Amino acid sequence: MAGKSGRTIQAVPQNSAKKMIFSWEGALVVLFIALNIFNMIISPSYNITNILREMPKYLAEIFMLFGMAYILVLGDIDISVGSIVCLSATLACVASNAGLPMVLVIAVCLLVGTACGFINGIILTRFTELPAMIVTLATQIIFRGIAEILLGSGGSVSLKDTSGFNALAMKIGPVPLVFFLVVIAAVIFTVILAKTTFGRKLYAIGSNSTAAYYAGVKVQKVRLIVFTVTGLLAGLCALFLTSALFGANTTTGQGFEMDVIAMAVFGGIATTGGKGNLVGGIISAFIIVLLRIALGQINLNPQLILVIIGALLIIAVLIPGINNAIQAKRKMKSA
Amino acid sequence: MSEYILELKGITKIFPGVKALNNVHFQLKPGEVHALMGENGAGKSTFIKVITGVHAAEEGQMFLEGKEVHFKGPRDASAAGIAAVYQHPTSYPELSVTENIFMGHEQMKNGMIQWKAMNQEAEKLLARLNADFKVTEEMGALSVAQQQMVEIAKALSTNAKIIILDEPTASLTQNESENLYRIVEALRDEGVSIIFISHRFEDMYRLASRVTVFRDSQYIGTYNVDEISNADLIKAMVGREISDMFPKPDVKIGKEMFRIEGLSRTGFFKNVSLNVHAGEIVGMTGLVGAGRTETIESVCGITKADSGKVFLDGKELHVKQPLDAIKEGIILLPEDRQRQGLIMSWGLGRNVTLPIQSETAKNGFNNEKKEREIAKQYLEEVDTKAVTIFDPATSLSGGNQQKVVVAKALAQKNMKLIIMDEPTKGVDVGAKAEIYAIMGELAKQGYGIIMISSEMPEILGMCDRIYVMCGGKITGCLDRGEASQEGILQLAMEKGGYDKKEEAAK
Repeated sequence: MAGKSGRTIQAVPQNSAKKMIFSWEGALVVLFIALNIFNMIISPSYNITNILREMPKYLAEIFMLFGMAYILVLGDIDISVGSIVCLSATLACVASNAGLPMVLVIAVCLLVGTACGFINGIILTRFTELPAMIVTLATQIIFRGIAEILLGSGGSVSLKDTSGFNALAMKIGPVPLVFFLVVIAAVIFTVILAKTTFGRKLYAIGSNSTAAYYAGVKVQKVRLIVFTVTGLLAGLCALFLTSALFGANTTTGQGFEMDVIAMAVFGGIATTGGKGNLVGGIISAFIIVLLRIALGQINLNPQLILVIIGALLIIAVLIPGINNAIQAKRKMKSA
Repeated sequence: MSEYILELKGITKIFPGVKALNNVHFQLKPGEVHALMGENGAGKSTFIKVITGVHAAEEGQMFLEGKEVHFKGPRDASAAGIAAVYQHPTSYPELSVTENIFMGHEQMKNGMIQWKAMNQEAEKLLARLNADFKVTEEMGALSVAQQQMVEIAKALSTNAKIIILDEPTASLTQNESENLYRIVEALRDEGVSIIFISHRFEDMYRLASRVTVFRDSQYIGTYNVDEISNADLIKAMVGREISDMFPKPDVKIGKEMFRIEGLSRTGFFKNVSLNVHAGEIVGMTGLVGAGRTETIESVCGITKADSGKVFLDGKELHVKQPLDAIKEGIILLPEDRQRQGLIMSWGLGRNVTLPIQSETAKNGFNNEKKEREIAKQYLEEVDTKAVTIFDPATSLSGGNQQKVVVAKALAQKNMKLIIMDEPTKGVDVGAKAEIYAIMGELAKQGYGIIMISSEMPEILGMCDRIYVMCGGKITGCLDRGEASQEGILQLAMEKGGYDKKEEAAK
């Protein structure tokens, strides 16, 4: 071809070992270890047995982290997931109390979640000019509103027969079933995001949806899939939450959307889209869960726990900026 | 009093790792229009930022009316009477024209903004520029050309003695450019000194009396415009001779491979029919807003046409989204490469392989090794100036970004028809010649090529046939032999073209 100057372009990827250690994920691993030492110091009852026993009620939330991470990478947001959990859990309890077999109860719970996610997705992909923040704020109110109507004046529903849900709360050895499911889902969602063409499309859309569309990415179809799957994951969360609480009420799932957004952001996923990965998100999810367990063990006021997690989040979003500033200075010196 | 209103001597500016300016000189006479030319990355923008006080130079001296000055920031430069107008005005789109003009130096009295006085003053300034809009209009509602006039008015409102225009004509139509020329000439006659940066030789010949050339951060020379030949100037800019700017190969035109029949979209274009043969380079030209890009966007599935048919290799296509067109082998190089063509934060390699990642993938998993090989192959084939395929697209100059877009198209094995929308917009002369060479090579290989362009020289230099559009309609089709600048312009401004406003009103 004309204009050839014989110039070659390097295509060998850099050795990533050094990069990993100095990455945000590397820092999170260090923080994870430091946190465990800290927890052991402040709480005498912080040990494996107790952690495994207390973990299930926090673990269910992490399912939604996977969907939220995808949504944030797309440059979108979904603040209705907490309400989807509430509606799914309520309907699961209603179905169970109506005498449906457990298989159908599970199906109801997951289908309700999926349907809610699909509704979010359809609205956002049909009316692409609407901001996801506002649409999911509206559905957040609607989904919880429907749940409150179903819950009636008492505002809560308890399971009459807990045997089916007890089975979900089973343990394999000392480890609860939900832990295995979270780990399996974590691997699947992490690999899809990092290694597949679908994952690459998410980053393309989040970085520049116009260019992605011009390059043949079906932007709206991808968004619809991701919002729907996030609904399904909220249903899954509702299922395991119900198996830990044996009922649902008007505050079920409240604030969960902020918890998972916090986990994702703390894990290095940018709310502006196109950046971050699930490895960081999952480590940060466990950092937050373990911190909650330890602070709960020493009977710290739950509101104070929120304050601490909020402060951590601010530090997490500040650090990349500080890091950039330091590196820019270093470059200036070396020049 | 010095002979020069502005003089810079031995300016060196160092950024981390690079010398952006290396011992450059510049002399501006009072009341002259002085062109500053050079390829992308030659250091023109950095130089302007030194003059306007945005950057402080490590070495060198700057004299204003014979006195040495040291600007600590843009404010100092502004106070000294230096103002800059950029290609994309850095304005406040929600605010009014008056507010934009007086931003930062509002007229105050007892702490209150004097709206009436400011509006009157703004009106006077706009009248001086023959502007056709009101001072109360919202900045965002104006065209780019009008916004530039506001920026010029802003410069005048600070009593600027030196105005720097950075690629002002790049986004303007022919008529708007003409108007800008008149404004610049009027300012010059009033004694304002003007530094004019442009890639368009037309601008320089029309306006400038002298031209200074930078290349690779170095000062090459200052010439009188009427004493230097076009070829010598290009040589000064590029550092080598470009023997043939338009290497149009002699290709045997094959059979018809692409045809549009009666394509219409209400409010944008009407009854457009055209065809392309194998090995043929077909031009589409006309004024900005004639409906060229809109027609092509419908062909490529970005927007939907209301009626009409599209055929490729005799088969009718039903394209509903970009992916459909890509699958059929219709590859678009979009006009706005930073917004539509590339993901600027991504590495070059990822950009090249984005449309083909599914083809190289195994069971949905990316084959990164193969992708890297393909990216390297095509980026080298178009001779991209980059160190690695992981360099972000933001690190490249405009011309090299365009080469990445070309590499992205070439990597698509099933390509049959390649559509280039303003392929050399904002691209410097050296890279332009290389893009034309690639285009010629593709025609030789038998691809069909459509080039949308507003630049007359490349349309006349590269195309076998030229379709001219005006007001959403094709007003003529000229063969290479019969096409002339006058003929095209006449068709491009033909009355009786399809009136969009009328249609929209129905």
